[in-house]
Amino acid sequence: MIDCDVHIAFDSAGVLLPYLDPYSRDYLERGERGAPNLPIAPRPWLHPEGYMRTDAIPSGGRVPGSDYDLMCEQLLDRFDIDYAILTGDDIIDVSTIANPIYAQALARAYNEWIAEHWLARDERLLGSIFVAPQDPVAAAAEIRRVAETHDRFCQVLLSSNAQRPYGDPFYRPIWEAASDAGIPIAIHLGGHSGINAAGMASGNPTFFWEFHALAAEGAMTHLASVLAHGIFERYQNTAFVIVELGVGWLPGILWRLDNNYKALRKETPWLQKLPSEYCREHVRLTTQPLESPDDPKQLHHVLEAIHGSEVLMFASDYPHWDFDDPTMLPLPKDWAEAVFDRNARALYKLPAARPKVLADGMESAK
Amino acid sequence: VSTVERETRFVACRADTLKPGDRLISEFKGKSIGIFNVGGQFYALFNRCPHRGAPLCQGPLTGTTGCSDTHQTHYERAGEILRCAWHGYEFDVTNGTALVDPRLRVRTYRTTVEDGDLVVYV
Repeated sequence: MIDCDVHIAFDSAGVLLPYLDPYSRDYLERGERGAPNLPIAPRPWLHPEGYMRTDAIPSGGRVPGSDYDLMCEQLLDRFDIDYAILTGDDIIDVSTIANPIYAQALARAYNEWIAEHWLARDERLLGSIFVAPQDPVAAAAEIRRVAETHDRFCQVLLSSNAQRPYGDPFYRPIWEAASDAGIPIAIHLGGHSGINAAGMASGNPTFFWEFHALAAEGAMTHLASVLAHGIFERYQNTAFVIVELGVGWLPGILWRLDNNYKALRKETPWLQKLPSEYCREHVRLTTQPLESPDDPKQLHHVLEAIHGSEVLMFASDYPHWDFDDPTMLPLPKDWAEAVFDRNARALYKLPAARPKVLADGMESAK
Repeated sequence: VSTVERETRFVACRADTLKPGDRLISEFKGKSIGIFNVGGQFYALFNRCPHRGAPLCQGPLTGTTGCSDTHQTHYERAGEILRCAWHGYEFDVTNGTALVDPRLRVRTYRTTVEDGDLVVYV
């Protein structure tokens, strides 16, 4: 089993100080809203109970996701997970910070912290490369740096809210670097504040649960952009992964995009296939939070329309409040092998054999 | 079982009255058909779009966009693309094929010029 959305945390952003250059270290050490915070712009919708599973709070009241042993107990060992793709936490929102130098330095520091304190600890853990997309050239340089110096980062991860849709030529350096590294670009729920575009296109909703459902709007915007701009004609060796933004909305938007493209092909003559065909080949979606109608068959019809057994990849979102237990997912039974394992293993080019555990204090099998 | 419908010969007009870029839409054998002069060649198409049944032949005769790379576009095939009157689907007026999907085609009819008459076989 592969879990494509596992969050980790630190008790203080001060853990990043050793990885920062003096310019950015000053900001985080003495600057406004510095450590122990990560100085991202705060989301305007506040989860009324905090967005963590309360049973995931480590002893001593520490931050959920900060304790490796508890993560093993509640997730990796409990569900016999082969690989868990780490998707950070607040660092996703580094895209909200106006100063791209500071933002990129934080992302870089976070990548190094993950490599040293998480990936080195357990071969089941895989990293996401965080970058500040507000400076695509610097972001591309960081992708190339990580790809050259580390071997267990499996994708680039960007927030689902942005300054502009990710197919825009502005972001070409990021796509080019990801394609050269042979890794996908993932978007994850986040980035709904600061310098990014308004949270929702028609103005901001009021309550957390509204926002959380409506965040799919950002995924639609990026998906349409990536398909229309011919990202997969131009960059052959990458893919687009949509994380924690729902899946039930996909058939409707693909039907619309196909219809409109057929009529207005001349706007984007570089496309050789229908938007839905590019999507099937190059776009993957993680399951959590999987829509859960009273009658699961209604969901299955929707998922069949998007070739769900090919494009869906399991994610739990541990340790967040809306965690999906892999034993409880209302998916068609004969899709399990593909959705829980095969699709992610193929996308991320993971070996068929499971990694050996190199937990702290354990003898390596070497 | 197959039935073979015999072609019927119709004189549409004097050929020199339909100038390059012009069209004539008329009923032949109960079918609305558009005849186009494209650079001196005549093409006849069924005036019903295979997409949603719109009067295809009332749409503009235009060119279209080609490209050498993403975002590197140029205009091409001026006067050869019939753009449907409703949704704008593009058809190659010379063979009735939709540019977006060659499987989508509109019926075409044979034309000739005989003794100065523009003739369409329906």
